Order: sequence, then C-alpha cells, then structure tokens
Amino acid sequence: MLRPPAMNLLPKRPLHLPRLRTYVPEPSDPKIFWFNSERADILQDVVRRIMERYQDDEGIEFIIGDAAYHEIRRLEPRTDEGGRKGLEYWRGVIRRVGRMSSEGKHETLREIAMRMAKDVAGNFDPRVYKFAARAVPGLLTGVMNPSNVMRNVLDSGTRLDELVSVEGPIEKIHKLQRKGTMLLLPTHSSNLDSLAMGWIVFREALAPVVYGAGKNLFSNPLISFFMHNLGAYRVDRRVRARLYKDVLKAYSSIMIERGYHSLFFPGGTRIRSGAIEQRLKLGLAGTGVEAFARNQARGVNRPVFFVPATINYALVLEAETLIEDHLKEEGRARYIIEDDEFSRVERWVSFFKRFQNTESACVIRFGEPMDPFCNPVDDEGRSLAPDGRVIDPGSYVSRRGTPVVDPARDAAYTRDLGKAIAKAYVKETVVMGTQLVAHVLFRRLCRATPGLDLFARLRHRGDIAVPMDELREEVGQTRDALLRLERDDRVHLNAPLRQAAPEQIIERALDAWSGYHQKPIARVLGGSVIAEDPNLLLFYQNRLRLFACDIAGPHPGDQAAALEIAAMEGPR
Amino acid sequence: MSAPVAIVGGGAFGRALATAAARVERSVICWSRSKREPDHARISCTTDMAALRTAELVFLAVPSPHVSALSEELGKHLDGGHLVVHVSRGLVGNDIATLTEVVRETTPVRRVGALAGPLVARGLAEGEPGGAIVGTLFPEVADAVRDALGGPKLRIYATDDVVGVEIASAFVGLITLAMGYAKSLGFGPGTLAMLATRGMAEATRVGLARGGTARTFAGLAGFGDLLAATADDGRPELALGRALAEGEPLQTAAQRLGAYVEGVRIAEQVQAYGERARVETPIAAAMAKLVSGEVGREEAVAALMRRPAGGE
Repeated sequence: MLRPPAMNLLPKRPLHLPRLRTYVPEPSDPKIFWFNSERADILQDVVRRIMERYQDDEGIEFIIGDAAYHEIRRLEPRTDEGGRKGLEYWRGVIRRVGRMSSEGKHETLREIAMRMAKDVAGNFDPRVYKFAARAVPGLLTGVMNPSNVMRNVLDSGTRLDELVSVEGPIEKIHKLQRKGTMLLLPTHSSNLDSLAMGWIVFREALAPVVYGAGKNLFSNPLISFFMHNLGAYRVDRRVRARLYKDVLKAYSSIMIERGYHSLFFPGGTRIRSGAIEQRLKLGLAGTGVEAFARNQARGVNRPVFFVPATINYALVLEAETLIEDHLKEEGRARYIIEDDEFSRVERWVSFFKRFQNTESACVIRFGEPMDPFCNPVDDEGRSLAPDGRVIDPGSYVSRRGTPVVDPARDAAYTRDLGKAIAKAYVKETVVMGTQLVAHVLFRRLCRATPGLDLFARLRHRGDIAVPMDELREEVGQTRDALLRLERDDRVHLNAPLRQAAPEQIIERALDAWSGYHQKPIARVLGGSVIAEDPNLLLFYQNRLRLFACDIAGPHPGDQAAALEIAAMEGPR
Repeated sequence: MSAPVAIVGGGAFGRALATAAARVERSVICWSRSKREPDHARISCTTDMAALRTAELVFLAVPSPHVSALSEELGKHLDGGHLVVHVSRGLVGNDIATLTEVVRETTPVRRVGALAGPLVARGLAEGEPGGAIVGTLFPEVADAVRDALGGPKLRIYATDDVVGVEIASAFVGLITLAMGYAKSLGFGPGTLAMLATRGMAEATRVGLARGGTARTFAGLAGFGDLLAATADDGRPELALGRALAEGEPLQTAAQRLGAYVEGVRIAEQVQAYGERARVETPIAAAMAKLVSGEVGREEAVAALMRRPAGGE
C-alpha cells in the first residue's frame, strides 16, 4: 500500500501530546474545553448509573457472564499481547464470578464498567483542537500531494471553502447552541463525513461537538490522532457485550445531560446503497431523549435540540466498495469494513484530485432544529405546536404533571424521532449532477429490461446506449421536474445543477466519474452514452429513488421504470 | 383523583365509550358540535373543546373524513402531557397514511394510539363481555385505555404494531363491503369465506409493506373485527355492498344508509398504493373498479378468479 512520507511519520497507536501545564479554560471557551477537568466525574457517573441499573446479585452475575462470554469469543482469535492479556482477564472473571460474594460481584461489575467507560471516553486537548482547526484542510490537501505539505497547509482553506458549501439555518443553530445542548445528526455515506462535518463546524464558528466515532474511523492514523484528542468517544461495534452497550448509552446520555454538544450518525453505519437513509434506529442519538427526561426529573430545564443534516457528495470515496457490499446478500451484516477506499491512501489521492475539479463537490445542508419530540423550535429554542403556540417540552416526559424517567416511553419517542429525522433527510437532500445523470441512465436501463429482477438487470454492462440528444432531453426534463419539487420544498438542487444546460450536466458528471472510479461508469461512443457500470449507476441514482415517480418523463416506459425504481428497496 | 376521560364525537360509538368509561367509575367529558344531554351522572357534555384540556386521555370518536379537521382543532387545546386514542376506521390519501399519523401531524400530542377490534357500539354501551386492542408505541397509553375502559366486561389487549392495527381495521371495512356485495350476488359461505380469508391476506401484504407485522392481522384487529362485522346484518358496510350490487348509485346508497362508509374510499386508496408500492391488492382493485363503474360484477368476479393461485 502506498503511504506518502507525511503519513509514515504518524504513529499507528493513539498519541497524546505531553502536558507541560494544565490548560485552564476561559469562561468564553466552548463546553468541550472543560471536558478533561470533568472526565473523572463523568466516568464515575457512568459507573454509578450502571450500578443503579443492576442491583440484584442474579442480574449482576448475568451481565458479567454475558460480558465475559462475548469478550472471550472476540478475543480468542487474537494473537497479540493485548488480546492475550484481555483473554486472561475475562477467563479469570468467568472462573470466579460464580463463587463471588454479593460484595465481590458488585465490585467486579464496578471494575468492568469503569474499564469499559475509560475505553469509551475520549480526551480533549485544546492545542490539538486549535491546530486541527487550522491545519486539517491543509493536511487533507497534503495527503493528495505530500511533496508540498507546507504550501498546501497555508493556502488550502480557501480551496476547501469552494469545495464544501453549507446551506440551512446556520444563524439559528448558532443561537440555539447557547440555549441548550445541540445534537447534530448528519446522513452517513462516507468516512469523510466526520472530516467534512468537523471542518464545517469550525468554519461556521459552531461550538465544537463530541463525536461518537466508530472504531473503523480509527483505522486511518491521521484521523485517529485527531479523534483521540478532540473528545471523540470510541464506539467499538465488535464488542457485543450488553454491558458495553449500557456503558455507551450511559456515557452518551451523561454527556448530553451535562451540555456537551454532540454529533451522531443516526444510520449507525455508512449507507451501502447510496440511497437517502430511511430506516433510522438513532442508536446513541436516542439518548438525547433520555438525557432531556433525566434533567427534567431533577429540575434542570436544559433544552436538547436535534439538528438533521444531509451530506451530499458529487463523488463518493468508497462508492465501489459500498455498492458491492450492498449487493452481496450477506453485505448488510458486514458492519465494519476495514479494507475500503478510506484506508487506501492512493484512492484518497485520486479522489481528491477529481474532487478538487468538481464545482460544489460537497454540500452540507442543515435542516430545521427540533426538540426531542419532533416539534420545531423558534430562534429562542422554544418548542412550537402545529398552531404556532409555545409549548412546554417538559410536558412530554410528565405523567400527571410530574416529570419522570421512563425508558419504554423514551424508546417510543426515539422511534418517532427516527421517522422525523428520516423525513427531514428527504426534504434536505441536495441533488448533485452525478446523481441526476445516473438516475436518467438507470431509468433507461429499467425501460429496456422491464420486469427483470435487480441482479439480472445489473448484468447488462455496456448494453444500453442512449443517443446523446435523447439523454440531453431527458436530463433536462428530469432536472425541471426536480426544480418543481424544490419549489414545493420537497428537495433541493446543487447550485451548478440548477443553472447548467443539460449537455454541461452530462459532461461534468462523466468527467467527475472518469477520473476517479476505476472502471468507467458511462462513456460516450459514436454520439451515444453507454451505461457501462450498472452497479455504480445504481449507487448514484439511488439518492433519487424516493422521487422516481415524481420526476419520470411522460414516456410510458419511463413511468413504468420509475415505479420499478421506487419499489426497489421496498415501500415505506 | 384521576383526571376525566375526554371523548370527541357525539355519535353512537362516542356515546358507547362514554358509558363504558362511566361504568368503571371514571368521570367523562364528551364534546360534540351540538349540545346534548348526558345520559349518566358521571358524564358531562360540552360544545367547548377547551374544556377537554383537563383530561389526560382523549378518545377521538368521529368518522375518518372528519379526523383531520377535528384533530387540528383539538390540538389547539392540548400539549405533550395528553394522550390521544382514535377509534376511527380509515386511511388518508394514496400513501395510506394512518390516522395516528394525522393526529401526530395536527396536534402537539405524541403519545397516541388506535383502539380497534370487535367493539360494537351497542355491546360496549350495554356492557356485554368483549375485548379490544389498542395499538400504541407507548405502554402508558395502553395502561390509560385499560384504566378508562377495561374491567370485568371489557378486556383491553395491547400491541406496538400501530400501523398493523390501523390497516387491519381499515381493511375490515373494505372486506365487509365486498362481502355485502358478494352476498347480494347470491354467493354462499364458501365464496364468502374465501373472500374474507384472501381479503385479510391482502390486508397483511399491505400492512407488511407499511411496516406492520403479520400476527396483528390474525388477531383482534383483523379477523376478530371481521367476524364481528359480518356476524349479523347490522353493519352499514354490508348494507352498502348489497345496495351497490343491486345497482343503487353510491351517493344515494350512502345517503340512505345515513353513514359515511369508509370501505369505498379505502378500496381506491389501497389500489393506488398497491400500484405504487408494487403490492398485490386484487380485491381492493376489484372493489374500486366496481364502485366506479369501470367494470361490471361478472367481469370483476372473473378477473379475481382468473388470477394464478400460488402458495398461501
């Protein structure tokens, strides 16, 4: 694997910078600057909450046994020193737990919970934050061209500004950050999402957020270094123990209760199909509801705001791996991919070279903030009823006037919230030219293969040729239909797509694909465009799947094809 | 002391709910557009919706076409502390949105549910032993309904498959309409049983496509309700089905029967949804075409029987 010199200098293990003197936060510093001074208290709170949850000996024995069983299974195949020591520890636990006194069981649970909490909890180094904020754009560009790191560091901010644009109620989000705890909930289609969001949070002067970052993000040494020092907490999805999930949730809830703005990817993992995420479990983001209820129950009236955001790319770094994974039957169970384009530097280089030449290559669009009960909020952070009345969000967690913590109720609110966020994702999607051209070509493929199942259809590589004049007409008509949807506030279009002539849209899409993807997605031959890679066409067009019936042309074949596309991943 | 139970709707079902709640010693506030006299000491009547604010649990007992408007009006007086349960049988638009979704959209209330199953207004009012099911994501809503109505005469079951309950309930109206039609054509028990069974299979497919679970359709909200609907000849859907089969125009028949009959609209909605979502809905499509006059009865029956039969 190609590793430029700049990457080789970075360690593979998490690195903490030496601390010469303790950083004392200024009153004007964001909340996260207090993290290190509160860290020990937070860990104690997590353990206390776990101990409250498991009180009787039988429950404790079960949860310890469950943790030991899953950890032994996870560690057994490992041959490294850490794996061996871990295995020894857990085997010891499982041998002893049956004979332990009640006190011993409590103590062991406390010890395991603390171990897990320490593993989850991050570290925040203000020096790394200040450095990262200035240098990340340059380092990104440095990855592309390691021989010129210094020059890239100095002038790349401007270039990145042009590549990544932001839309949505930024001013309102600024205000709300000062009134309560904000949870940013972006869509997740690439590991670059964390970087893009981090950069935008800094550029738009939003308060820094705590990330719940998947272990796979730590596989890239550059990203890992920053993650470890910017308060990110590590979510290791390979740890199956129920206790670990409890610790994660307790940690996340406590952070929100204490007012740490956070960022979660509610889809959990990157969407494999390229579609707009619609089945959201929310995961840790759901702890925002619990955190609000817990604060209310102890008389703390600190609002929690959920801010959906879509991250829209003209090109997706890991598109080839993701769609391949999506199409494999077993793919959906493969939660962590460690060998994709994200971990291969040469693919980054190639991606960023192409990315740089694409106008508005990434658009991050924030949706309207909502309270934990899906109500919109005004600029002051007050919850609004459908008739515009200000209502008390505390009433949602009250029974007969008294705020109470109720996990079953909060789980139901979380499911509702998942639906509201998914709905916002559709509305806040920004359609890119590559997606539009892919959709039109894929619709043509469906027209030519009516009734065929997806896999049979995807075998038609290079079989569909669309005369350029027909493609221009259909791209223009589909773009106009999207513009109508945009006027109804049902979707948004990337600015260059709104104004460009159809031939420009086609040309730019083909150009963007051809410099990055290893196989051609589509190519021009003899005045026609040939659909070469139906898999990648499917990936890019999937972003428009939910609008297929609204944007199909008048041709009966188009209408039928749109119905097939709309039904591809099953109806809502 | 418990908060009163509120009931929106002064029709037969609203009154039966009020009586059932009063029977288990709950105080009840009933809202209706026109003033009416209470028929029980624990029941008070009002035309002022703001009076319902004092309740915690609110039943919405109005025909489905009125749910949206009334829910919007009701929403102006409620907040997140209220619980709303509807008892209507209907779906909204060609995306077949459910009525709990309508309540969520039009009010600030989130703790919502749907009460369904073999509940018959007369039986409920007279205290015949019976049962019902409440579909809700919130256990406290189910508990509140049990507190308000449950007791020695009424067993209230609960499920978190809200969408399943609402689609099953809507389909019961449609299947009952189809059975009324079929009865009038002189078809016997075998044909009627086939229609009921395949109709519920169709309901299950639609329910699954909307995120419901199959088990719900075999329970109180599905077959339980259908058995109650067809056990005697009293249901307006049966009468409307018969009238349509005898050639009476829809408007005249609906007016004569004095009730909005949801089954007709549901057939059209389900047909449109089925086409879009690629879910097979032959019975809904046949009923929609019959009612609109697009096909005649012989043609509709022949089209249904011509379909290839696969595994059940």
